[in-house]
Amino acid sequence: MLYDIRMTIRYQYPSHATAGRYLLRLMPAVLPGVQRVIAGSLTVSPEPVEQLAGRDFFGNETVEVALGEPHWESRFSIAARVERRRISDLLDVSPRPEDLARDIAAHATLDASAPHHFLGPSTRVQPTPEMTAFGREAASGSATVYEIIRSLAEKIHDEFAFDPSATEVDTPVLEAFEARHGVCQDFSHVMIGCLRGLGIPAGYVSGFLRTIPPEGQPRLEGADAMHAWVRAWCGHQMGWVEYDPTNAVEVARDHVVIATGRDYSDVAPIQGVMRSAGMQSTGQSVDVIPLD
Amino acid sequence: MSEAPEADRRDPVARFLKDYRPPAGVPDELIGADGSVRPVWAGFIKRLASMTPERLASRMAHGDQYLRDAGVYYRRYGPQDTGQRDWPLSHCPLLVAEEDWSEIAAGLTERADLLERICADLYGANRLVEQGHLPASLIAQSPEWLRPLVGVTPRSGHFLHFVAFDIGRGPDGKWWVLSDRTQAPSGAGFALENRIATQRVYSDVFAAANVTRLAGFFRAFRDTMTGMLEEGEDRVGILTPGPLNETYFEHAYIARYLGFALLQGEDLTMHDGRAMVRTIEGLRPISVLWRRLDAAWADPLELNEGSQLGTPGLLRAIRDGRLTMVNALGAGILETRALMAFLPRLSQLLDGQPLRIPNIATWWCGQPSERAHVRSNAEMMMISPAQATGLAHETAAMASAEAEDIAAWIEREGPSLVGQERIHLSTAPAFVDGTLVPRPMSLRVYLARTASGWRAMPGGYARIGMTAEANDLAMQEGGRVADVWIIGRTTEPAETMQPAYSGAISRAPLAPLPSRAADNLFWLGRYVERAEHLVRVLRALHARLAETEAPDAPLLRRTAKYLDSFGCDMDQPVPEALVEAISAAFGSAGHVGDRFSVDGALALGDLTRTAEEFALRVEAGDDAARAMSVLLRKLSGFGGLVHDNMYRFSGWRFISLGRAMERASTMCACLAVFADAAAPEGALDLAVEVGDSLVTHHRRYAVATSRATVVDLLALDALNPRAVLCQFDHIEAHLAKLPGTGRHRPMSPLTRAVLRARTDLALQTPETLDSAALRRLEDEIREMSDQLTLAYLT
Repeated sequence: MLYDIRMTIRYQYPSHATAGRYLLRLMPAVLPGVQRVIAGSLTVSPEPVEQLAGRDFFGNETVEVALGEPHWESRFSIAARVERRRISDLLDVSPRPEDLARDIAAHATLDASAPHHFLGPSTRVQPTPEMTAFGREAASGSATVYEIIRSLAEKIHDEFAFDPSATEVDTPVLEAFEARHGVCQDFSHVMIGCLRGLGIPAGYVSGFLRTIPPEGQPRLEGADAMHAWVRAWCGHQMGWVEYDPTNAVEVARDHVVIATGRDYSDVAPIQGVMRSAGMQSTGQSVDVIPLD
Repeated sequence: MSEAPEADRRDPVARFLKDYRPPAGVPDELIGADGSVRPVWAGFIKRLASMTPERLASRMAHGDQYLRDAGVYYRRYGPQDTGQRDWPLSHCPLLVAEEDWSEIAAGLTERADLLERICADLYGANRLVEQGHLPASLIAQSPEWLRPLVGVTPRSGHFLHFVAFDIGRGPDGKWWVLSDRTQAPSGAGFALENRIATQRVYSDVFAAANVTRLAGFFRAFRDTMTGMLEEGEDRVGILTPGPLNETYFEHAYIARYLGFALLQGEDLTMHDGRAMVRTIEGLRPISVLWRRLDAAWADPLELNEGSQLGTPGLLRAIRDGRLTMVNALGAGILETRALMAFLPRLSQLLDGQPLRIPNIATWWCGQPSERAHVRSNAEMMMISPAQATGLAHETAAMASAEAEDIAAWIEREGPSLVGQERIHLSTAPAFVDGTLVPRPMSLRVYLARTASGWRAMPGGYARIGMTAEANDLAMQEGGRVADVWIIGRTTEPAETMQPAYSGAISRAPLAPLPSRAADNLFWLGRYVERAEHLVRVLRALHARLAETEAPDAPLLRRTAKYLDSFGCDMDQPVPEALVEAISAAFGSAGHVGDRFSVDGALALGDLTRTAEEFALRVEAGDDAARAMSVLLRKLSGFGGLVHDNMYRFSGWRFISLGRAMERASTMCACLAVFADAAAPEGALDLAVEVGDSLVTHHRRYAVATSRATVVDLLALDALNPRAVLCQFDHIEAHLAKLPGTGRHRPMSPLTRAVLRARTDLALQTPETLDSAALRRLEDEIREMSDQLTLAYLT
C-alpha cells in the first residue's frame, strides 16, 4: 500500500512566545520489512534557529527545533510518501497466559524491544486493581496471551464510547477508564493498563490511519487526526503484536506507524509546548491518501 | 535521697555522667563495653564536666546565636505548616577516633568505586543484566533509570563526583551502610555550619582537641570542579530547584562558600548545543553544573515533561559531551533500595572481595527464595518499596499499618517490595534539657572525587534521634544534627578556603549577574519602594482620621480612592495589598539568596512578620498611624542596609533602578491626585508629607504650600531625593554603568526612553506639569521599565 500523508499541527498563543524549544516525533518510521518512507519533509514556522535530528531510547526518530524570534503562532507540518506492507495473518504461537512470566524472566536484556520496559506503571499509565479486574474478565476463557489481547480490545471497543469531546490530551487514564469513554489515546492507555495488570507487557504506538476506507468498508474512527493503538508482547516466539482497540482490528496495512513507547509521553508528537506563556489553541489536520 | 557514692563526689566526670545510661544491646559511642568513657572522648567530657550548667547553657546559646545570625534554616513540609525552621543543631558533637575514621573512609571509597562501575554498566554495556547478576525488570521499572541517557558516557568520564553515605554502628560494633546518596546529596553546607556553630560552643576545647579541619576537603573538591571548566568560562554553577526546596539555604550558602554561581533552570538556555547562562551581559557558556535538582526535573523535553525547574534541551549538551553534571543525570538509580540486595555479590564479582563495610541486609521480593525468606521472617524486617530511595526506616511503616495478611501482601506485590533487617543503631550523647543522654545515631559521610581519587569529608554531620527509638532520625520528625569531630593524634594546622597571601593582591573579576537574579533584585527595589509609599500615604490618612476628621471628608475620600488604585481595601487598616508588597519583596530576596546579605534578608523577614502581625490586630486611626511609623522605621532600616552596606556590583544597581523607577512612578501618581487643580483643601500638604519634604518645603519657600511650590519641590527639584527628576538622574547614572551602555555607545531603546522622559520633565515648569502631564510621565516610566526588562532581565 502506498500512502501520501500530510499533517499540520498549529499552536496559537494569546501573547507572543519569545522563544521555544520543541522535540518532535512526527515523521513516519522506517520499519524494515513493514514500512518504508519513500520521501518525507518537515516544515516548521517560524523558521527554526536550530534544528537537530536524533533518535530516542525506543528507536524513534526525533527532531529538536528551537524557535528564536517572538511569534504568535507556530506551525509544524510534514509531508511523506510511505509504503506499508501488509502484515500477513498472524499465526497464534503465543504462550499460555500462565507461562508468559517465564518467557519474560528469561529475557535478560534491556534493549528497546525488551518486554521489561512495558510492565508496571509508566508516566501516563498506572494500572489499578479495577483495570486488572476488567482485564481478567476479558481474559477468562482465553487459552493464549494473544487471545487475551484480542478479546480485551473487543471488550474495550464494545463497552467504551468513542467521544472526541469527552477527553483531552491530558485526561488521566483512570478518568477515561471509569467514564468508559474517550478517543484513541484513552482506549490505548486503558488497554495498556489492563494488559500490564495481567502481567502482559504493553506499549503505545502513535501513527496514522488511512482517511478513506477501502471500497465497501466503513470509515474508521480516528482517521482525521493522529491515531494511536497498542502493541503487546506475546512471548519469545511471537514477539510484539499490534492491535487497535478503538476499532477492534488487527493492525495490518491501514495503519502507518510514527513512534512506539510505553505510553503517550514517550511518543508525544510535540514535546515542550507548555513552557510558553498562557493558554494555547491548537489545530490539527491530517490527510492519509492511498495511492493504489 | 541517697548520697552519691564517694567516688562520684571526687570525680567530676562520673558526677557529670551519673544519669547517662546507654540502653542494653547496642554499643554506645561515649561509654565502652567496660562501662568507662572511651579514650577518644576523655578530654572532651572532662572539660564539659568542669563547666557549670549555666556556663554550658550560655555557650550553647552562643552557637544558636551564630546560626540565627547566619540565617541558617531548612524548609519544613507538613500538613499544616510549610515554612522555615531553625537548623536543629544537637549541641554535643560526635567524636570519632582517626583510626576508626580511616577505616570508614577506606571502606566507603571502595563502595563509591563499586557504585561507579555499576552505574557505568547500567548506562553502558549492560553486562550485569545480560549475565543475570541484576534482574532486568528491577532496572526497567526504576524511575531513576533514565532512558534518554542510556549509552551516554559522561564528559568527565565519571558518573559520580560527589556522594554521601548514611552509616550506622550495629550491635556488634561494626559499621553498616544504611543508604547510598548518589542523586544530589545535600547537607555538606550544613556540615560547615554545624562545625562553625559547634566550634563557637566549644572554642577552647576545639582548639586543643586535634580536630581534622573541613576546609581542605572543600578546597580539593572546588579545585577539581573548576578544573573541569572549559577555557574562558567564569565559574562552576550550582543548579538548584529554587527557594521552595527544603535545603535551598544550603545551596545558597555553599555557592557563596565555594564561589560557585547559584543557578535555577530558567537561568540556563541552550544555544548551539551548549548550556548558557543568561546574564545581563548576554549568554555566557557553562560546562560544569553541581546539581541539587533530582535528575527527572532537569529537562522537560526529554525527562519529566511537566518540569518547570529544568532547562529544555539540556540533555543534548550532556550527550554531546559539552556539559558535566555532578553527579551524572541517572546516577540516582544507585540509590534504589533493592540494589542493596545485590551489592554483596556484585562486590565479589567486580572487585573480587566482599564489601569492606557491609550494607544493611536486604532481600528483594522479586526472587522466589528471597520472597519466601522475607515472608517467614516478616516480624524481624522492615518491608518497604523496592524502588524507594532514602533511609529504610523513613518509609517502612507501611508493613505494620496494613492489617491484611502480610504474607499475602508480599506474595502479591513481590517485585515491588524489599525486606530489610531491622536496624538497631548505636547511641551517642545528646543534650536533652541540659542533661547528656544516649540517643540513636547515624553518620553521614561525604566523598568527593578529586585529582588524587576519592576524598572523604572528615566528619561534620551526624543525625541524632530525639527519642530513644532508632527510627526517629529524620529531621522532619524532630531529629537533630550534630557536628562530627575526627580526633587525630597530632595537631593540625588551620586550613581555610583562602589561598595563602603571596605578595600583591589581585581582585577576582566579578562574574556577570544572571538575568533572573537581576530581575529579582529590580523587583525587590520596586516592591520595597512601593511598600514605603503606601505606608506613608496610609500614615497620613490614619493620622487625619485620628484627628476626628470625618471619613467622608473630601480629602480622605480622595486619599482612599488613591489607595484603592494600588489595590488597598480601606476596610482594612493594614491593607492586604501592603502586606503583599512586603512579602513580594521578601520573596524576591529569597530568589537571590546567594547574593544578598544575611542582615538584609533577616530585616525583610522581620518586616514581613511585623506587617502580617499588624494586619491581624491593628485598628484604624491612631493605632494604624503608629503601626505605619513602625513599618516605616523598619523599611528605612532595610534601605540603609542596602544603600550603605551593599557592595556596588551590578546587582545593587538593579535594586537601585527598581527603587528609582518605583519612586518616580508613585510620585507622579501622587502629584496627579493630590496636586491636581481640583484637589480639596489639605491635599497639597498631604503630598508634601508623603514626599517626606515638610522641612525642606518650609526652608525653600517660606510660604504656605501652593500647587507651584509642591510640584516644583516634588517633581522638578533635582536636589530633592524624593523628586521625580532626581530619580531620573539616578536612573541615568546607574544605566551608564551597566553593560552595553555608556557615553560612546549608540543609544538603545532603553537609553532613548530614559533620555526622552528626563528631557520632557526637565523642560516643564510647575505650571505646565499638570495632572495630565504627570500621567504621561507615568506612561513613560512604564516604558522605561519594559525596555529595561527586555534589555537585561529576560
